[in-house]
Parts: sequence; structure tokens; C-alpha cells
Amino acid sequence: MSNDILQIPIVARGRIILPAEDDRVEYKGRGGADFASPDPHQHIHDLVLGNTALLADLNDMRMAAIIEFLDALGKRLWLDDNPWLQQSFDVALKAGGLAEPILRGVYDGLPGMFEGDAVAAQVEKTIGVRYLDGWVPGDAPYDNVRVRAVGTRQLHITAGNVPVVAGLTIIRGALTKSDILIKTPSNDPLTANAIARTMIELDASHPVVKHLAVAYWKGGDEFMDSQIVRTSRIDKITAWGGMSSVKHIQKFLSPGIDLTALNPKYSMSLIGAEALESETAMDEAALGIAVIVGFYNQTACANTRIVYVESETDDQSIDKLVQLGRKIIAAYPKLPEVISTAVEMPNKDLEAEMDAIVDEDDFYHVEGDTLTGGVVISKFSDRVDFYDKLSNRVVNIVPVSRLEEVVKWCDDTTQTVGVYPEAVRDRLLDGFALAGVQRMVPLAGGDPLQIFHDMHQLPPGMPHDGIEPLRRNVRWVIDQRPAAAHDLALSIAAE
Amino acid sequence: MTEAVLEKPTLSPEAPGKWLDRGYEPLYELSWREVEELQLAALKLQFDKFSTSVAALEKLARREGVSRVDSLEDALPLLFDHRVYKSYPLALIEKRDIRKLNAWLGRLTTHDLSQVDLDGVTMVDQWLDRLDDFGMLIGHSSGTTGKLSFVPRSQVEFPAWQRSYYEGQRATTGVDPYTDKVETFFPGYRGGHQMMMKMLGLFNIPAAGGPEHYHTLYSGHISSDLLSLAARMQAAEDRGELEQLGLDPSLLKARDDLIAQGKRREQDIESWFFTLFEEFRGQRVKLGGSFGDLIKTARSGIAKGLKPEFGAGSFIMTGGGMKGLKDPPADWEGFVRDYFGIETIGMFYGMSEVMGMSPRCSQEHFHIMPHTIPLLFDRDMKLLPRKGSQTGRYAFFDLMAETYWGGFISGDQVTIYWEEDCACGWKGPRIGPEITRFHEMEGGDDKITCAGTAEAYNDFMQFVSGDA
Repeated sequence: MSNDILQIPIVARGRIILPAEDDRVEYKGRGGADFASPDPHQHIHDLVLGNTALLADLNDMRMAAIIEFLDALGKRLWLDDNPWLQQSFDVALKAGGLAEPILRGVYDGLPGMFEGDAVAAQVEKTIGVRYLDGWVPGDAPYDNVRVRAVGTRQLHITAGNVPVVAGLTIIRGALTKSDILIKTPSNDPLTANAIARTMIELDASHPVVKHLAVAYWKGGDEFMDSQIVRTSRIDKITAWGGMSSVKHIQKFLSPGIDLTALNPKYSMSLIGAEALESETAMDEAALGIAVIVGFYNQTACANTRIVYVESETDDQSIDKLVQLGRKIIAAYPKLPEVISTAVEMPNKDLEAEMDAIVDEDDFYHVEGDTLTGGVVISKFSDRVDFYDKLSNRVVNIVPVSRLEEVVKWCDDTTQTVGVYPEAVRDRLLDGFALAGVQRMVPLAGGDPLQIFHDMHQLPPGMPHDGIEPLRRNVRWVIDQRPAAAHDLALSIAAE
Repeated sequence: MTEAVLEKPTLSPEAPGKWLDRGYEPLYELSWREVEELQLAALKLQFDKFSTSVAALEKLARREGVSRVDSLEDALPLLFDHRVYKSYPLALIEKRDIRKLNAWLGRLTTHDLSQVDLDGVTMVDQWLDRLDDFGMLIGHSSGTTGKLSFVPRSQVEFPAWQRSYYEGQRATTGVDPYTDKVETFFPGYRGGHQMMMKMLGLFNIPAAGGPEHYHTLYSGHISSDLLSLAARMQAAEDRGELEQLGLDPSLLKARDDLIAQGKRREQDIESWFFTLFEEFRGQRVKLGGSFGDLIKTARSGIAKGLKPEFGAGSFIMTGGGMKGLKDPPADWEGFVRDYFGIETIGMFYGMSEVMGMSPRCSQEHFHIMPHTIPLLFDRDMKLLPRKGSQTGRYAFFDLMAETYWGGFISGDQVTIYWEEDCACGWKGPRIGPEITRFHEMEGGDDKITCAGTAEAYNDFMQFVSGDA
């Protein structure tokens, strides 16, 4: 048992529980980032809220006070000033898949996420503050019926590929006046902890802090799952990463526990024939594609992995696609490093896939690699069979005679679709929405930071993966009182 | 190199396929160190021949800058990954573009497959039949990853391949299939092009003494078209568009039958085994099947009070797979032995991509014969030293390959013992009983990301198939 490995406490309800002699488990982290934590089996009652009456403090608190707290918290989440975040940054760097400048960019976005106006707009646009702060009567003649959004007990099994998930989850928990337990991922074991510890420093007795617990346990720990996933202890589960995180707990799910599965996504881009008609258009499209493929080094669900281009499959047309591919590869190094960088480690599995088809000239054209990025051009209308392994800025370009055909490859796993040029959007939008696509974003403009901004900047309170998590994670309660006396008299008279 | 040939006049680098002609015993008297040069000479000959006649190797060698092989190290960049045997686009199978598929396969073999008569061929099964007629012996994987891989073997290799199987059986069970014909039972399909089924058909029927002595659970084949399209058919069915795939109606019926058969399989195996217990009571038999099949049958037989009594000299030939079996007994072999009343359990270590079988010895290790050059790699794909015992990813050069390139890197993690000190008395490098899948990633098994990955998909497939 070495003592110099990272100690990751359980943070529960304003308390920091450090590993101790008789209360300690070591875990193998990613990239050698091993860590020790208190034994979660001994802390079930610190993690869950068995008695719902204890949510009263949060329920009674005005949303304005919660927003004020989040805003104050955000001001303390600057990486340069916050030692907890610095520690989690170092671990995420070692364990996760993001290069230093990108990770820094992600962390730099944290304070803005907590900013008062932003969170206020988020809660107002989704649930509506008055529904959280009190009972809201219906319109006459149903003004005897009132509705309130009441907080719940939530388990969040979070994703670690992009650390903003930790911040997002804490904000959503607070805005739903809910008790939240975050099970951290092994590829980002510390960001949620760092934010929780900062919250304790700010005000350990604040109801939002009292209703937050953060712990790590190994996925598939049946004891933990059986103890936690009970209708008496949890109302809502949000599982990022889909099956891999859900499959362990699914046997404990029962009616009464509402599961939101933010399942794994494959995203794509749709490129109209116009993009191949001039050198200028091709350059613009290639840069847009490079941004949507390359941002966060293709570790996110919104990253394009397949680019469908309106094109024939004769040699001349394929040559055009090869040109487009070369322009995409040439654009990667021009992306600002806060968006995308060359990676340090090759992806051996993907390289083996590329190697296996590199000589299949009849079917594919392969350029580039998994370090600086690459393209695989299909010479016929189908994606590569290993499309689900595309990463490290390697993208598959697939010719299709009409973009409308692409709906057959779309379903609930198709999250974000990049579109170029804008002229094709309107004829595609509804069909793709019906097929399961959750978001269509622009690729035009020619300026990487602007394109990145355009595809990410959303007004507060927008849906996430086709659902509205805040509305879904509260309990909508009805208070139905006797109808007003005049209505009653009228109906009796009519009889 | 010539020295080795002179020392061992029966082992010529020109013909590794004949090295077993005097049986396995002389080979297990040889230290691998004694045959190293001979193996290298054979590998060099193989490379010289195939680097101009197997298009896939030619291209790979050019890309890797390998123009000659003077050492084992020279040939390491030329190991085919399993993906090479399935580098065709899946769309070719979906659209049943058999000509293109045939042209693709042609790049893996010295045979000129453009001469294969493909007139009227619209199905994968038909194509593989025509290839058989042409003199090929193509075996494919079971398609559990959603795509079949095709190993381009041919009749040219058949005698050596069969000899390797028979000598392997003789080494691990003491029963010589050339001279000692035994009623044989296998709880599965009777043939087909899936590699394991193809091998069993090719080897078991003569070893049993003819088709009437080879008894299988099912009389039919498993359709290669079905295996290759299973995943897509499922997806189409989910969308209610199975009819629109334009598949042959017989294929749709075959699928329904297979699903029904799959649901009945456990009962079918049971009743089949139990009938066999009665019919062949007191007779000498050879039983096949996976560990899982044998254990399940034994458990259910015990529960029903059924007990086989086979004749003396009966034996079991079994292989990997506890699939679908919950809590196998710790000493499963003892359990199976006791139940079936059969003392001898023979086993090989092998895979579709290698012809040389590695039979299991009395110490439960798998000894590699000289016509296979074994290699182990670490996680960074560095060759592990050939000394002591080493654990890593298993790769090999199959020197028996005469019409295709035999270099292959597997997905298995094994331990090889290079010091030839096995208590069984056989020499040669040997593989320990612990054989697992090689995982490239180290670390927590619950890394969670929102981006779709193959891993996530596989988890999902396991989940829906109830294995998770």
C-alpha cells in the first residue's frame, strides 16, 4: 500500500471523508493515475438520502438564493486560483483523452457555466422559477388546481471524456432543488470532487452543499448498486455513456426509478454537391469539417465521425473527395490549439483497421494517421465497417447521390449533424429530425473559432440529446382543491 | 541453413507439410533451438514465393519496405492482423456482389480465383461451394463481430492440415484416426463453411470410418449467408423492413428456423445425448462439443438420473467455450470425466488461421510443433524474448501454408514456456492452460464517455444477448 498515490475523498453533505487506515480502497486509474478512496461500502448512508423529509431545507429555499450561491461558486472556479481544480486538472490530463490546451479551455469555461444570469435563464426557460418556489395555479376555471416542481433524489453516473459534465450535473441538481449523488468516472475521478470541495469552502451548511455527494466506486460493484438503486433511496438516474454504465445497474431498476440514458452518440456531417464546385467552397467546407471533427480531439459525442458528401462514385468524383480529404487533413494543424491538437499517442486499434484497408484500392482511399489526423474515403456509398472506432481526428468520407439517403444511417445515436452549405439545410431538416437526429449545426464561415462558437453557442435551457433533463428530473406534483363555490352552484342548477 | 537440413534429412525447408510424415514423436524430440534455422529457411522460402504471388502480402511488404527476410525480425511487420481476412466492405455481402468479393479474396491467395465459375451465383453459400469445387477450402469465422473473415486455404494444404489434426489427436488422446476408427458424436451442425464445422466435417467423417459413423445433432449446415447478414437482418427487422432487404425467401425461412432451433438447442442437445447414451451403451465412442455443452449435459443427466456407460477406450475431444454457462464446476474436467465415465479428454490449442494443432500434454500444456513459429508481443507490440516464460499477445508464422501467407497476429493472450522442461517429456515451446483475450487497454473498466465506440456497442450486444 503506497501512501504517495492520490487520495480522493468521498465528499458527502458538506463533509470531506478521507481514506483512513481501516477505510481505504485503491483503484487503478487511467494512464497510471491510480488513486485511493474511502471504502464506499462503509458510506452508503452518507451517500443516499433515505428520508425525503430532509429535502425540506432545499425545497424551502428561494431559487434566487440558490442562483446567488452558484454564481458565487463560479467565481471561485478559476483554474489559476483554485488548488482543487488544479489537482483535478492534473489527473484529468493524465487519465483522460484531452491535450493540455484543450483541457485548459474546458476548465476555463467552468466559471461562465455557473454565472448567475446564465443559470437563472436556464431554470426559467426550462422549469420556470415560480414552479420551483411555490404552487402555480392553472388558468380559470381550473384555478383550484395548482402544480409545483418538487426536487428529487438523483443518481448521476457521469461521463469523464469532457470534464464539464461534472459542472453541468451540479448545476442541474441545484436548479432542480434536488439531492444529488454523483458517481464519478475513472477517466475523470476528481473534477466533481474539486467543485464540491470548493462549495464546502464557500458555505458547508448551505442546503445545496448538504444535498450533494460525490464518490467513486467501480462500475459493476453489485453491493453498491443494490444498496443505492432502490425506490426508497433514489428517484431518478441519469446515466451517461449508455449501456456501459447502465448494464450494471439495470437489474436493480424497478418501476418508480426513472432512468435517463444519455447514450453513446455517433455524429456526422452532410455536405452538399456545391462544396465540390469551386476551390473556395471546398476550402470553406474542409475547414468546417476539420472543426467539427477536430474539436476536443474528437472525444465528444458531437464530433463528426462520418462525412456524407453528395457525389458520384466515378474516378473523377472520387478524386474530388480525395482533394476534400487532403484539405481537411491540411486544416487540422491550422486549428487553434484550444480547439484541437495533434495527439501524443496513436490509436493502435484504429491504425490496424486503417492498415487492413489501405491496400484495398478498389474500395477505399486512406490518408493520414491517428496522430495528426486522417481520412478514409469510401469509393462506394457506404461507411467503413469500423465507423464506430473512428477517433483521433480520423474521418470517413462517404459519397451519396442524394443527402436524403443518409437518413437510413440515422437513429437515436445520431446526435449532432454538421451541414454545408446552408442551402441544403431546409430540405433535410424535418426528415432527419424524424430519423432521430438531435441537433443540426452550421459549418460555414471559414474562421475556426467562429465556427466552433457557432456550433456550440446555445441559448440557456436548450434540450440535451433530444430531451429536457431539468423538467424530467423534478417531480411534477398536483394540488387539487375543491372547485370554487360559484362553479359548483352553477353545475347543480343545470342539473 | 543447409546444416540443419543435413542434420535432419527428413525435415526440408521446402516442405514443412511433410514434417509430420513420421508422426509427432520425432518432432517433440527436437528442441526449438535445433529447428530455428530450419524454420527461418522455410519462412524465407515462403516469403520469396508469396511476396510476388499473394497481392495482399506484396503490397504490405512494399509499404513496410521489406524486400527480403533474413531473420525473424525482418518478417515481423508482415504479420496479418485478423482484419486483413475481412477487409472487404460489408456492403459487398449485403448487395451480394459476389464477383467483387471473389476478386477481394483473390488477393489473399496464389490461386487465380478469376477462373472460378461464378455464373448464377447470388449467395455466399453458393460462392463458397464453387470455391470448394475449384479446389479451395475456404473457412470463415462465426461472425460474432458482425463480419465474416475468410481464411484462404485450399486442397493443396489439405493433406498436411489433416495430418496435423490427426497427429494432434493421437498425441493428446493416444488414438490414431488413420487406423483406429471410432463412432463419433458432435452436438452441432454437420458441415458448412464456418471453419470449425468445415474442419470437423473434413476430419471427423474419415476418422469415424465414414458418414454413417459420424453423428451430429443437426443434419444440416449453418448458412454462411445467414451468419454474414445476421446483424443487418436484425436491424432491418427492428425497423419492420426485413422484407425490403430483398433477400431470398429461403434465407428468411432459414433464419426463422435457426432462431427456433437456437431456442430449442439446450433441450435438443440433452435429448440427443440421452438417446446416444442408450443406443451406444457399452460401445466405444468419441464425443465432441464445447466444455459448456458437456457440463450442461452432465448436470441435466445427473438431475434426471441418467448415466451413460460407454465402452472402454472411449474418449472426449473438446475445446473452448463456457458460453452461456453459469458457475462452471471448479474441476470441470473431473466432473465431466466422472459423469461420462470417460477417462481420456483430449484438447488442442489452435485457431482458424493456423493449420498446426498444438495438442495438450499430460501436464495440461499445449506443445507447439516446429511447423508453427510462435511469437509473443507485449502491449507496445515489441517482441518478447524467447526465454523463460513470457505472457503476451500470440502471433505465429504457419509454415504449412503453401498457397497463402501464414503470418498472423491473434487476439489471444497466452503464456509460452520456452525452457523445454515439461514433465510430460515433449519438447518444443509450450502454451500454458490460461488463455484469455488480449486487451490493449489497461486501467479501470468503467471509463465512461458520451461518444459512441465499438466497445460500447459490444457491451450493448452482450447485454441484449444476455451474456452481460
